[in-house]
Amino acid sequence: MLKLIQVLWPSFAVAALAEAVFFTVIDPQELYLFGQVVHYGALATYSIAFLGFWLVCAASSLSTLFLQRSAADINRRN
Amino acid sequence: MSSPSPKPQQAQKSKAPQSSDTLYESRKKLYVRAVTGVFANWRWALVWITQILFYGLPWLSWNDRQAVLFHLAERKFYIFGTVFWPQDVFFLAILLIISAYALFFFTAIAGRLWCGYACPQTVYTEIFMWIEQKIEGDHIRRQKLDQAPMSANKLFRRSAKFLVWGLVALWTGFTFVAYFSPTSELLEAARTFSFGPWELFWILFYGAFTFLFAGVLREQVCKYMCPYARFQAVMFDPDTLVITYDEARGEPRGVRKKGVDPRSLGKGDCIDCGICVQVCPTGIDIRDGLQYECIGCAACIDACDQVMDKMNYPRGLIRYTTENALKKNWGNKEIVAHVFRPRTLIYGTVLAVVCLAFVWGLASRDPLRVDVIRDRASLAREVEGGQIENVYRLHVMNMAESTRTFTFEVSGLPGVKIAGGPPRIEVGPASTQSVTLQVLVPYDAGKPGSNEIEFLITAEDDPSLSLREETTFLLPR
Repeated sequence: MLKLIQVLWPSFAVAALAEAVFFTVIDPQELYLFGQVVHYGALATYSIAFLGFWLVCAASSLSTLFLQRSAADINRRN
Repeated sequence: MSSPSPKPQQAQKSKAPQSSDTLYESRKKLYVRAVTGVFANWRWALVWITQILFYGLPWLSWNDRQAVLFHLAERKFYIFGTVFWPQDVFFLAILLIISAYALFFFTAIAGRLWCGYACPQTVYTEIFMWIEQKIEGDHIRRQKLDQAPMSANKLFRRSAKFLVWGLVALWTGFTFVAYFSPTSELLEAARTFSFGPWELFWILFYGAFTFLFAGVLREQVCKYMCPYARFQAVMFDPDTLVITYDEARGEPRGVRKKGVDPRSLGKGDCIDCGICVQVCPTGIDIRDGLQYECIGCAACIDACDQVMDKMNYPRGLIRYTTENALKKNWGNKEIVAHVFRPRTLIYGTVLAVVCLAFVWGLASRDPLRVDVIRDRASLAREVEGGQIENVYRLHVMNMAESTRTFTFEVSGLPGVKIAGGPPRIEVGPASTQSVTLQVLVPYDAGKPGSNEIEFLITAEDDPSLSLREETTFLLPR
Protein backbone atom coordinates (compact mmCIF):
# COMPACT_ATOMS: atom_id res chain seq x y z
CA MET A 1 0.00 0.00 0.00
CA LEU A 2 2.78 2.41 0.92
CA LYS A 3 4.57 1.64 -2.34
CA LEU A 4 1.38 2.16 -4.30
CA ILE A 5 0.89 5.58 -2.73
CA GLN A 6 4.54 6.45 -3.15
CA VAL A 7 4.19 5.79 -6.87
CA LEU A 8 0.73 7.19 -7.52
CA TRP A 9 0.58 10.27 -5.34
CA PRO A 10 3.69 12.28 -6.28
CA SER A 11 3.12 11.40 -9.93
CA PHE A 12 -0.46 12.67 -9.64
CA ALA A 13 0.71 15.99 -8.24
CA VAL A 14 3.41 16.43 -10.88
CA ALA A 15 1.03 15.34 -13.66
CA ALA A 16 -1.46 18.00 -12.56
CA LEU A 17 1.30 20.60 -12.75
CA ALA A 18 2.51 19.33 -16.13
CA GLU A 19 -1.05 19.35 -17.47
CA ALA A 20 -1.60 22.95 -16.36
CA VAL A 21 1.67 24.18 -17.83
CA PHE A 22 1.34 22.20 -21.06
CA PHE A 23 -2.17 23.35 -21.89
CA THR A 24 -1.68 26.98 -20.95
CA VAL A 25 0.99 27.00 -23.62
CA ILE A 26 -0.54 24.66 -26.18
CA ASP A 27 -4.04 24.69 -27.59
CA PRO A 28 -5.36 21.12 -27.91
CA GLN A 29 -6.55 22.01 -31.40
CA GLU A 30 -2.92 22.39 -32.45
CA LEU A 31 -2.13 18.82 -31.50
CA TYR A 32 -1.60 16.05 -33.99
CA LEU A 33 -2.00 12.37 -33.28
CA PHE A 34 -0.32 10.05 -35.78
CA GLY A 35 -0.36 12.84 -38.31
CA GLN A 36 -4.08 13.53 -37.87
CA VAL A 37 -5.52 16.57 -36.16
CA VAL A 38 -6.85 15.52 -32.76
CA HIS A 39 -10.60 15.36 -33.18
CA TYR A 40 -11.70 14.50 -29.63
CA GLY A 41 -13.70 16.93 -27.56
CA ALA A 42 -11.81 19.34 -25.38
CA LEU A 43 -12.61 17.56 -22.13
CA ALA A 44 -11.55 14.22 -23.62
CA THR A 45 -8.26 15.66 -24.86
CA TYR A 46 -7.47 17.24 -21.49
CA SER A 47 -8.46 14.09 -19.64
CA ILE A 48 -6.49 11.71 -21.82
CA ALA A 49 -3.48 14.01 -21.64
CA PHE A 50 -3.74 14.15 -17.88
CA LEU A 51 -3.93 10.40 -17.54
CA GLY A 52 -1.01 10.16 -19.96
CA PHE A 53 1.07 12.57 -17.89
CA TRP A 54 0.13 10.63 -14.79
CA LEU A 55 1.20 7.37 -16.38
CA VAL A 56 4.57 8.79 -17.44
CA CYS A 57 5.18 10.35 -14.02
CA ALA A 58 4.12 7.13 -12.31
CA ALA A 59 6.61 5.22 -14.46
CA SER A 60 9.30 7.57 -13.25
CA SER A 61 8.27 7.16 -9.60
CA LEU A 62 8.20 3.42 -10.07
CA SER A 63 11.73 3.40 -11.52
CA THR A 64 12.93 5.50 -8.58
CA LEU A 65 11.38 3.04 -6.19
CA PHE A 66 12.89 0.13 -8.11
CA LEU A 67 16.40 1.59 -8.16
CA GLN A 68 16.20 2.62 -4.54
CA ARG A 69 16.18 -0.96 -3.31
CA SER A 70 19.19 -1.66 -1.17
CA ALA A 71 21.65 -4.52 -1.75
CA ALA A 72 20.05 -6.33 1.17
CA ASP A 73 16.65 -6.11 -0.49
CA ILE A 74 17.99 -7.50 -3.75
CA ASN A 75 20.08 -10.27 -2.18
CA ARG A 76 17.30 -11.48 0.04
CA ARG A 77 15.96 -14.80 -1.21
CA ASN A 78 12.31 -15.48 -0.92
CA MET B 1 13.58 20.54 1.50
CA SER B 2 16.87 18.92 2.39
CA SER B 3 16.58 17.48 5.83
CA PRO B 4 18.94 18.44 8.62
CA SER B 5 21.47 15.84 9.68
CA PRO B 6 19.67 14.10 12.55
CA LYS B 7 16.59 13.34 10.49
CA PRO B 8 17.75 10.53 8.19
CA GLN B 9 19.10 8.69 11.18
CA GLN B 10 15.79 8.91 12.93
CA ALA B 11 13.93 7.81 9.86
CA GLN B 12 16.18 4.79 9.47
CA LYS B 13 15.83 3.88 13.08
CA SER B 14 12.07 3.89 13.01
CA LYS B 15 11.80 2.26 9.64
CA ALA B 16 14.42 -0.45 9.68
CA PRO B 17 12.85 -3.05 11.95
CA GLN B 18 9.47 -3.11 10.25
CA SER B 19 8.46 -3.74 6.70
CA SER B 20 7.72 -0.45 5.00
CA ASP B 21 4.20 -1.62 4.20
CA THR B 22 3.16 -1.22 7.78
CA LEU B 23 3.53 2.54 7.66
CA TYR B 24 0.03 2.86 6.27
CA GLU B 25 -1.61 -0.38 7.21
CA SER B 26 -0.74 -0.71 10.87
CA ARG B 27 -2.08 2.77 11.47
CA LYS B 28 -4.03 2.90 14.67
CA LYS B 29 -7.49 4.05 13.77
CA LEU B 30 -8.30 7.29 15.50
CA TYR B 31 -11.59 7.86 17.24
CA VAL B 32 -11.46 11.59 17.44
CA ARG B 33 -13.49 13.10 20.24
CA ALA B 34 -15.68 16.00 19.14
CA VAL B 35 -14.75 19.38 20.51
CA THR B 36 -16.48 22.72 21.00
CA GLY B 37 -15.01 26.12 21.68
CA VAL B 38 -13.72 29.30 20.12
CA PHE B 39 -11.37 27.66 17.64
CA ALA B 40 -13.83 24.92 16.73
CA ASN B 41 -16.31 27.72 15.96
CA TRP B 42 -13.76 29.41 13.76
CA ARG B 43 -13.19 26.17 11.90
CA TRP B 44 -16.91 25.64 11.39
CA ALA B 45 -17.26 29.23 10.22
CA LEU B 46 -14.60 28.54 7.62
CA VAL B 47 -16.22 25.23 6.67
CA TRP B 48 -19.41 27.17 5.95
CA ILE B 49 -17.74 30.01 4.10
CA THR B 50 -15.52 27.84 1.90
CA GLN B 51 -18.25 25.32 1.14
CA ILE B 52 -20.96 27.90 0.43
CA LEU B 53 -18.47 29.37 -2.04
CA PHE B 54 -17.43 26.02 -3.48
CA TYR B 55 -20.90 24.50 -3.82
CA GLY B 56 -22.61 27.80 -4.63
CA LEU B 57 -20.42 29.50 -7.22
CA PRO B 58 -21.24 27.20 -10.17
CA TRP B 59 -24.91 28.16 -9.78
CA LEU B 60 -24.45 31.90 -10.13
CA SER B 61 -25.02 33.69 -13.40
CA TRP B 62 -23.36 36.80 -14.72
CA ASN B 63 -24.23 38.48 -18.02
CA ASP B 64 -26.23 35.42 -19.13
CA ARG B 65 -23.45 33.00 -18.54
CA GLN B 66 -22.08 31.05 -15.60
CA ALA B 67 -20.33 33.49 -13.28
CA VAL B 68 -17.36 31.28 -12.51
CA LEU B 69 -16.47 28.81 -15.21
CA PHE B 70 -13.12 27.50 -16.30
CA HIS B 71 -14.36 26.70 -19.74
CA LEU B 72 -11.93 24.15 -21.09
CA ALA B 73 -13.59 23.73 -24.45
CA GLU B 74 -13.44 27.47 -25.17
CA ARG B 75 -10.09 27.85 -23.44
CA LYS B 76 -11.43 30.76 -21.43
CA PHE B 77 -11.73 31.28 -17.70
CA TYR B 78 -14.77 33.31 -16.70
CA ILE B 79 -14.64 34.87 -13.25
CA PHE B 80 -17.57 37.24 -12.94
CA GLY B 81 -16.84 40.26 -15.10
CA THR B 82 -13.34 39.17 -15.97
CA VAL B 83 -12.47 36.73 -18.70
CA PHE B 84 -9.04 35.17 -18.85
CA TRP B 85 -7.67 34.01 -22.17
CA PRO B 86 -4.69 31.75 -22.77
CA GLN B 87 -2.73 34.96 -23.43
CA ASP B 88 -3.32 35.91 -19.78
CA VAL B 89 -1.19 33.08 -18.40
CA PHE B 90 0.89 35.86 -16.87
CA PHE B 91 -1.94 36.46 -14.38
CA LEU B 92 -2.02 32.80 -13.44
CA ALA B 93 1.69 33.00 -12.66
CA ILE B 94 1.11 36.09 -10.50
CA LEU B 95 -1.78 34.35 -8.77
CA LEU B 96 0.51 31.44 -7.89
CA ILE B 97 3.11 33.86 -6.52
CA ILE B 98 0.41 35.55 -4.44
CA SER B 99 -0.74 32.20 -3.04
CA ALA B 100 2.81 31.19 -2.20
CA TYR B 101 3.59 34.46 -0.43
CA ALA B 102 0.27 34.44 1.41
CA LEU B 103 1.17 30.98 2.67
CA PHE B 104 4.66 32.13 3.74
CA PHE B 105 3.23 35.24 5.38
CA PHE B 106 0.52 33.53 7.40
CA THR B 107 2.74 30.60 8.33
CA ALA B 108 5.45 32.94 9.61
CA ILE B 109 2.88 34.76 11.76
CA ALA B 110 0.74 31.96 13.14
CA GLY B 111 1.87 28.60 11.83
CA ARG B 112 -0.42 26.28 9.95
CA LEU B 113 -3.52 28.48 9.85
CA TRP B 114 -4.32 27.15 6.39
CA CYS B 115 -4.14 23.52 7.51
CA GLY B 116 -6.11 23.99 10.70
CA TYR B 117 -9.00 25.97 9.30
CA ALA B 118 -9.23 26.22 5.53
CA CYS B 119 -7.53 23.27 3.81
CA PRO B 120 -10.07 21.15 1.92
CA GLN B 121 -8.65 18.08 3.65
CA THR B 122 -9.53 19.61 7.04
CA VAL B 123 -12.86 20.98 5.89
CA TYR B 124 -14.11 17.73 4.34
CA THR B 125 -12.77 15.65 7.23
CA GLU B 126 -14.72 17.93 9.57
CA ILE B 127 -17.90 17.44 7.53
CA PHE B 128 -17.40 13.67 7.25
CA MET B 129 -16.65 13.35 10.98
CA TRP B 130 -19.80 15.32 11.79
CA ILE B 131 -21.84 12.88 9.70
CA GLU B 132 -20.08 9.95 11.35
CA GLN B 133 -20.83 11.37 14.79
CA LYS B 134 -24.51 11.87 13.94
CA ILE B 135 -24.92 8.32 12.65
CA GLU B 136 -22.54 6.23 14.73
CA GLY B 137 -22.40 8.27 17.92
CA ASP B 138 -19.47 9.75 19.82
CA HIS B 139 -15.89 8.48 19.79
CA ILE B 140 -16.54 5.80 22.42
CA ARG B 141 -19.62 4.43 20.68
CA ARG B 142 -17.75 4.41 17.37
CA GLN B 143 -14.92 2.39 18.83
CA LYS B 144 -17.38 -0.07 20.39
CA LEU B 145 -19.26 -0.35 17.13
CA ASP B 146 -16.01 -1.11 15.32
CA GLN B 147 -15.14 -3.88 17.75
CA ALA B 148 -18.64 -5.34 17.89
CA PRO B 149 -19.48 -8.33 15.70
CA MET B 150 -21.66 -7.65 12.70
CA SER B 151 -25.27 -7.11 13.66
CA ALA B 152 -28.35 -5.54 12.12
CA ASN B 153 -27.64 -2.33 14.01
CA LYS B 154 -24.01 -2.22 12.90
CA LEU B 155 -24.91 -3.01 9.32
CA PHE B 156 -27.56 -0.31 9.33
CA ARG B 157 -25.32 2.37 10.81
CA ARG B 158 -22.39 1.47 8.57
CA SER B 159 -24.52 1.51 5.43
CA ALA B 160 -26.20 4.76 6.45
CA LYS B 161 -22.82 6.39 7.06
CA PHE B 162 -21.35 5.21 3.78
CA LEU B 163 -24.49 6.23 1.93
CA VAL B 164 -24.48 9.78 3.30
CA TRP B 165 -20.71 10.07 2.77
CA GLY B 166 -21.20 8.78 -0.76
CA LEU B 167 -23.90 11.33 -1.51
CA VAL B 168 -21.79 14.21 -0.20
CA ALA B 169 -18.82 12.91 -2.17
CA LEU B 170 -20.84 12.57 -5.38
CA TRP B 171 -22.24 16.05 -4.96
CA THR B 172 -18.72 17.34 -4.42
CA GLY B 173 -17.56 15.60 -7.59
CA PHE B 174 -20.47 17.03 -9.53
CA THR B 175 -19.72 20.51 -8.25
CA PHE B 176 -16.05 20.14 -9.14
CA VAL B 177 -16.87 19.20 -12.72
CA ALA B 178 -19.39 22.07 -12.89
CA TYR B 179 -16.44 24.46 -12.69
CA PHE B 180 -15.12 23.12 -15.98
CA SER B 181 -18.24 22.12 -17.85
CA PRO B 182 -21.27 24.45 -17.67
CA THR B 183 -23.64 23.61 -14.80
CA SER B 184 -26.72 23.95 -16.97
CA GLU B 185 -25.46 21.31 -19.39
CA LEU B 186 -24.42 19.04 -16.52
CA LEU B 187 -27.85 19.35 -14.90
CA GLU B 188 -29.51 18.50 -18.17
CA ALA B 189 -27.22 15.48 -18.47
CA ALA B 190 -27.95 14.50 -14.87
CA ARG B 191 -31.69 14.55 -15.48
CA THR B 192 -31.45 11.97 -18.22
CA PHE B 193 -28.18 10.48 -16.96
CA SER B 194 -26.49 11.20 -20.25
CA PHE B 195 -23.15 12.55 -19.04
CA GLY B 196 -20.25 12.57 -21.42
CA PRO B 197 -17.86 9.72 -20.57
CA TRP B 198 -15.18 12.08 -19.29
CA GLU B 199 -17.58 14.18 -17.25
CA LEU B 200 -18.82 11.04 -15.56
CA PHE B 201 -15.26 9.84 -15.09
CA TRP B 202 -14.19 13.07 -13.33
CA ILE B 203 -17.34 13.25 -11.18
CA LEU B 204 -16.67 9.72 -9.94
CA PHE B 205 -12.92 10.28 -9.69
CA TYR B 206 -13.21 13.44 -7.62
CA GLY B 207 -16.07 11.99 -5.59
CA ALA B 208 -14.19 8.78 -4.86
CA PHE B 209 -11.13 10.67 -3.70
CA THR B 210 -13.23 12.97 -1.51
CA PHE B 211 -14.69 9.86 0.09
CA LEU B 212 -11.30 8.20 0.47
CA PHE B 213 -9.44 11.25 1.79
CA ALA B 214 -12.11 12.67 4.12
CA GLY B 215 -13.70 9.40 5.20
CA VAL B 216 -10.90 6.87 5.32
CA LEU B 217 -7.39 8.32 5.05
CA ARG B 218 -7.95 11.53 7.04
CA GLU B 219 -4.84 12.48 9.04
CA GLN B 220 -2.68 10.20 6.88
CA VAL B 221 -3.11 12.63 4.01
CA CYS B 222 -1.56 15.35 6.16
CA LYS B 223 1.11 13.10 7.59
CA TYR B 224 2.29 11.24 4.52
CA MET B 225 0.97 12.97 1.43
CA CYS B 226 1.04 16.68 2.05
CA PRO B 227 4.23 18.35 0.89
CA TYR B 228 3.52 21.51 2.90
CA ALA B 229 3.83 19.61 6.18
CA ARG B 230 7.35 18.67 5.16
CA PHE B 231 8.70 22.14 4.52
CA GLN B 232 6.61 24.21 6.90
CA ALA B 233 9.49 24.28 9.36
CA VAL B 234 11.54 26.61 7.16
CA MET B 235 8.85 29.28 7.56
CA PHE B 236 8.73 29.00 11.33
CA ASP B 237 10.93 31.08 13.59
CA PRO B 238 11.00 31.69 17.36
CA ASP B 239 8.41 34.45 16.97
CA THR B 240 5.87 32.33 15.12
CA LEU B 241 2.64 31.73 17.00
CA VAL B 242 2.21 27.99 17.40
CA ILE B 243 -0.02 25.82 19.51
CA THR B 244 2.06 25.15 22.56
CA TYR B 245 1.71 23.30 25.81
CA ASP B 246 3.09 25.43 28.63
CA GLU B 247 5.39 22.83 30.11
CA ALA B 248 6.65 25.02 32.94
CA ARG B 249 3.08 25.55 34.12
CA GLY B 250 1.73 22.09 33.43
CA GLU B 251 4.47 19.79 34.73
CA PRO B 252 4.70 17.64 36.70
CA ARG B 253 1.33 16.49 35.44
CA GLY B 254 -0.92 14.20 37.43
CA VAL B 255 -4.38 13.41 38.68
CA ARG B 256 -5.69 15.40 41.61
CA LYS B 257 -8.96 16.28 43.31
CA LYS B 258 -10.82 19.42 42.36
CA GLY B 259 -10.19 22.39 44.63
CA VAL B 260 -6.79 21.22 45.85
CA ASP B 261 -3.93 23.61 45.16
CA PRO B 262 -1.68 21.65 42.78
CA ARG B 263 1.43 23.37 44.11
CA SER B 264 0.76 21.92 47.56
CA LEU B 265 0.93 18.47 45.95
CA GLY B 266 4.07 19.41 44.06
CA LYS B 267 2.17 19.21 40.80
CA GLY B 268 1.67 21.46 37.81
CA ASP B 269 -1.64 22.48 36.23
CA CYS B 270 -1.94 19.52 33.83
CA ILE B 271 -4.36 17.02 35.32
CA ASP B 272 -3.32 14.43 32.74
CA CYS B 273 -6.90 13.82 31.62
CA GLY B 274 -5.68 13.05 28.10
CA ILE B 275 -8.54 14.92 26.43
CA CYS B 276 -6.06 16.96 24.38
CA VAL B 277 -4.90 13.68 22.85
CA GLN B 278 -8.45 12.38 22.33
CA VAL B 279 -9.53 15.44 20.35
CA CYS B 280 -6.41 15.57 18.19
CA PRO B 281 -7.30 14.73 14.58
CA THR B 282 -3.76 13.50 13.93
CA GLY B 283 -3.53 11.55 17.18
CA ILE B 284 -0.49 13.28 18.65
CA ASP B 285 0.18 14.48 22.17
CA ILE B 286 0.80 18.24 22.04
CA ARG B 287 2.53 17.97 25.41
CA ASP B 288 5.48 16.38 23.63
CA GLY B 289 6.16 19.70 21.96
CA LEU B 290 5.79 20.98 18.41
CA GLN B 291 5.56 18.10 15.95
CA TYR B 292 5.32 18.03 12.20
CA GLU B 293 2.05 16.08 12.41
CA CYS B 294 0.35 19.01 14.18
CA ILE B 295 -1.95 20.68 11.67
CA GLY B 296 -2.60 23.62 13.97
CA CYS B 297 -6.32 23.02 14.36
CA ALA B 298 -6.32 24.16 18.01
CA ALA B 299 -8.78 21.42 19.03
CA CYS B 300 -6.51 20.72 22.01
CA ILE B 301 -6.72 24.38 23.07
CA ASP B 302 -10.52 24.27 23.10
CA ALA B 303 -10.51 20.97 24.98
CA CYS B 304 -7.94 22.01 27.55
CA ASP B 305 -9.60 25.38 28.20
CA GLN B 306 -12.81 23.58 29.13
CA VAL B 307 -10.91 21.36 31.55
CA MET B 308 -9.14 24.37 33.05
CA ASP B 309 -12.53 26.07 33.51
CA LYS B 310 -13.85 23.02 35.36
CA MET B 311 -10.79 22.94 37.60
CA ASN B 312 -11.02 26.72 38.16
CA TYR B 313 -7.52 27.14 36.77
CA PRO B 314 -6.72 29.98 34.39
CA ARG B 315 -7.16 29.09 30.71
CA GLY B 316 -4.28 28.76 28.33
CA LEU B 317 -2.27 25.79 29.56
CA ILE B 318 -2.28 24.95 25.86
CA ARG B 319 -2.40 28.13 23.80
CA TYR B 320 -1.16 29.98 20.76
CA THR B 321 2.17 31.40 21.81
CA THR B 322 5.70 31.78 20.49
CA GLU B 323 8.89 30.07 21.43
CA ASN B 324 10.40 33.38 22.51
CA ALA B 325 7.34 34.37 24.51
CA LEU B 326 7.47 31.14 26.47
CA LYS B 327 11.19 31.44 27.09
CA LYS B 328 11.16 35.10 28.05
CA ASN B 329 7.75 35.22 29.73
CA TRP B 330 6.31 37.74 27.30
CA GLY B 331 2.77 39.01 27.53
CA ASN B 332 0.43 39.55 24.59
CA LYS B 333 1.84 43.01 23.96
CA GLU B 334 5.34 41.75 23.26
CA ILE B 335 4.02 38.87 21.16
CA VAL B 336 2.03 41.27 18.99
CA ALA B 337 5.03 43.61 18.76
CA HIS B 338 7.11 40.73 17.43
CA VAL B 339 4.61 39.95 14.71
CA PHE B 340 6.25 42.89 12.94
CA ARG B 341 9.72 41.58 12.29
CA PRO B 342 11.91 41.64 9.17
CA ARG B 343 10.66 38.28 7.97
CA THR B 344 6.95 39.11 8.10
CA LEU B 345 7.55 42.65 6.86
CA ILE B 346 9.41 41.35 3.82
CA TYR B 347 6.79 38.68 3.10
CA GLY B 348 4.04 41.27 3.66
CA THR B 349 5.64 43.86 1.40
CA VAL B 350 6.24 41.38 -1.42
CA LEU B 351 2.66 40.13 -1.03
CA ALA B 352 1.24 43.66 -1.16
CA VAL B 353 3.36 44.64 -4.17
CA VAL B 354 2.44 41.50 -6.13
CA CYS B 355 -1.26 41.97 -5.27
CA LEU B 356 -1.11 45.57 -6.49
CA ALA B 357 0.66 44.47 -9.66
CA PHE B 358 -2.10 41.91 -10.23
CA VAL B 359 -4.89 44.46 -9.81
CA TRP B 360 -3.06 47.05 -11.88
CA GLY B 361 -2.31 44.54 -14.62
CA LEU B 362 -5.95 43.46 -14.70
CA ALA B 363 -7.25 47.02 -14.79
CA SER B 364 -4.93 48.07 -17.59
CA ARG B 365 -5.49 44.98 -19.72
CA ASP B 366 -6.16 45.84 -23.36
CA PRO B 367 -9.83 45.29 -24.11
CA LEU B 368 -8.91 44.47 -27.71
CA ARG B 369 -6.36 42.10 -29.14
CA VAL B 370 -5.67 41.21 -32.73
CA ASP B 371 -3.52 38.49 -34.26
CA VAL B 372 -2.61 38.97 -37.90
CA ILE B 373 -1.79 35.79 -39.79
CA ARG B 374 -0.65 35.85 -43.41
CA ASP B 375 -2.37 33.37 -45.65
CA ARG B 376 0.44 30.96 -46.43
CA ALA B 377 -1.27 29.25 -49.36
CA SER B 378 -1.03 32.21 -51.73
CA LEU B 379 1.75 34.58 -50.86
CA ALA B 380 1.17 37.19 -53.55
CA ARG B 381 -1.20 37.07 -56.47
CA GLU B 382 -1.64 39.35 -59.42
CA VAL B 383 -5.20 40.45 -59.92
CA GLU B 384 -7.05 42.60 -62.42
CA GLY B 385 -5.78 46.08 -63.09
CA GLY B 386 -2.14 45.26 -62.42
CA GLN B 387 -2.62 45.05 -58.69
CA ILE B 388 -1.00 42.64 -56.27
CA GLU B 389 -3.10 40.90 -53.67
CA ASN B 390 -2.01 39.50 -50.30
CA VAL B 391 -4.46 37.70 -48.05
CA TYR B 392 -4.52 38.01 -44.27
CA ARG B 393 -6.57 36.44 -41.56
CA LEU B 394 -7.21 38.63 -38.55
CA HIS B 395 -8.26 37.12 -35.24
CA VAL B 396 -10.06 39.87 -33.39
CA MET B 397 -10.43 39.25 -29.66
CA ASN B 398 -12.96 41.41 -27.90
CA MET B 399 -12.15 41.18 -24.21
CA ALA B 400 -15.00 43.51 -23.21
CA GLU B 401 -18.31 42.37 -21.77
CA SER B 402 -20.32 43.95 -24.59
CA THR B 403 -20.70 43.37 -28.31
CA ARG B 404 -18.53 45.70 -30.33
CA THR B 405 -18.18 46.54 -34.00
CA PHE B 406 -14.71 47.02 -35.38
CA THR B 407 -13.54 48.66 -38.59
CA PHE B 408 -10.31 48.01 -40.40
CA GLU B 409 -7.97 50.29 -42.26
CA VAL B 410 -4.66 49.56 -43.86
CA SER B 411 -1.72 51.87 -44.51
CA GLY B 412 2.02 51.76 -45.21
CA LEU B 413 2.22 51.62 -49.01
CA PRO B 414 0.97 54.14 -51.59
CA GLY B 415 -2.40 53.10 -52.94
CA VAL B 416 -2.86 50.24 -50.49
CA LYS B 417 -6.48 49.28 -49.87
CA ILE B 418 -8.69 46.49 -48.69
CA ALA B 419 -10.61 44.79 -51.50
CA GLY B 420 -14.31 45.51 -51.31
CA GLY B 421 -13.81 48.53 -49.08
CA PRO B 422 -13.01 48.63 -45.38
CA PRO B 423 -15.03 45.89 -43.67
CA ARG B 424 -16.84 46.05 -40.36
CA ILE B 425 -17.27 43.06 -38.14
CA GLU B 426 -19.27 42.52 -35.02
CA VAL B 427 -17.62 40.62 -32.17
CA GLY B 428 -19.71 39.33 -29.28
CA PRO B 429 -18.84 39.91 -25.64
CA ALA B 430 -15.66 38.14 -24.61
CA SER B 431 -15.31 36.32 -27.86
CA THR B 432 -13.19 35.98 -30.94
CA GLN B 433 -14.05 36.61 -34.54
CA SER B 434 -11.89 35.93 -37.56
CA VAL B 435 -11.99 37.98 -40.70
CA THR B 436 -10.19 37.42 -44.00
CA LEU B 437 -8.91 40.54 -45.70
CA GLN B 438 -7.62 40.81 -49.25
CA VAL B 439 -5.22 43.71 -49.44
CA LEU B 440 -4.49 45.25 -52.83
CA VAL B 441 -1.47 47.30 -53.81
CA PRO B 442 -0.45 48.65 -57.26
CA TYR B 443 2.44 46.44 -58.46
CA ASP B 444 4.92 49.31 -58.48
CA ALA B 445 3.98 50.67 -55.06
CA GLY B 446 6.95 49.23 -53.22
CA LYS B 447 10.16 47.31 -53.58
CA PRO B 448 10.02 43.66 -54.63
CA GLY B 449 9.99 41.36 -51.60
CA SER B 450 8.54 42.25 -48.26
CA ASN B 451 7.18 45.67 -47.42
CA GLU B 452 5.85 46.80 -44.09
CA ILE B 453 2.19 47.62 -43.83
CA GLU B 454 -0.01 48.30 -40.86
CA PHE B 455 -3.59 47.47 -39.96
CA LEU B 456 -5.54 49.88 -37.85
CA ILE B 457 -8.45 48.30 -36.02
CA THR B 458 -10.89 50.69 -34.38
CA ALA B 459 -14.00 50.16 -32.29
CA GLU B 460 -16.91 52.01 -33.88
CA ASP B 461 -18.54 53.01 -30.61
CA ASP B 462 -15.29 54.11 -29.01
CA PRO B 463 -12.71 55.51 -31.46
CA SER B 464 -10.16 55.78 -28.65
CA LEU B 465 -10.11 51.99 -28.58
CA SER B 466 -7.88 51.14 -31.47
CA LEU B 467 -4.93 48.96 -32.19
CA ARG B 468 -2.15 49.00 -34.74
CA GLU B 469 -0.78 45.70 -35.94
CA GLU B 470 2.21 45.55 -38.23
CA THR B 471 2.67 42.90 -40.85
CA THR B 472 4.42 42.46 -44.17
CA PHE B 473 3.15 42.73 -47.71
CA LEU B 474 4.89 40.67 -50.37
CA LEU B 475 5.45 42.05 -53.85
CA PRO B 476 6.66 39.61 -56.50
CA ARG B 477 10.17 40.07 -57.86
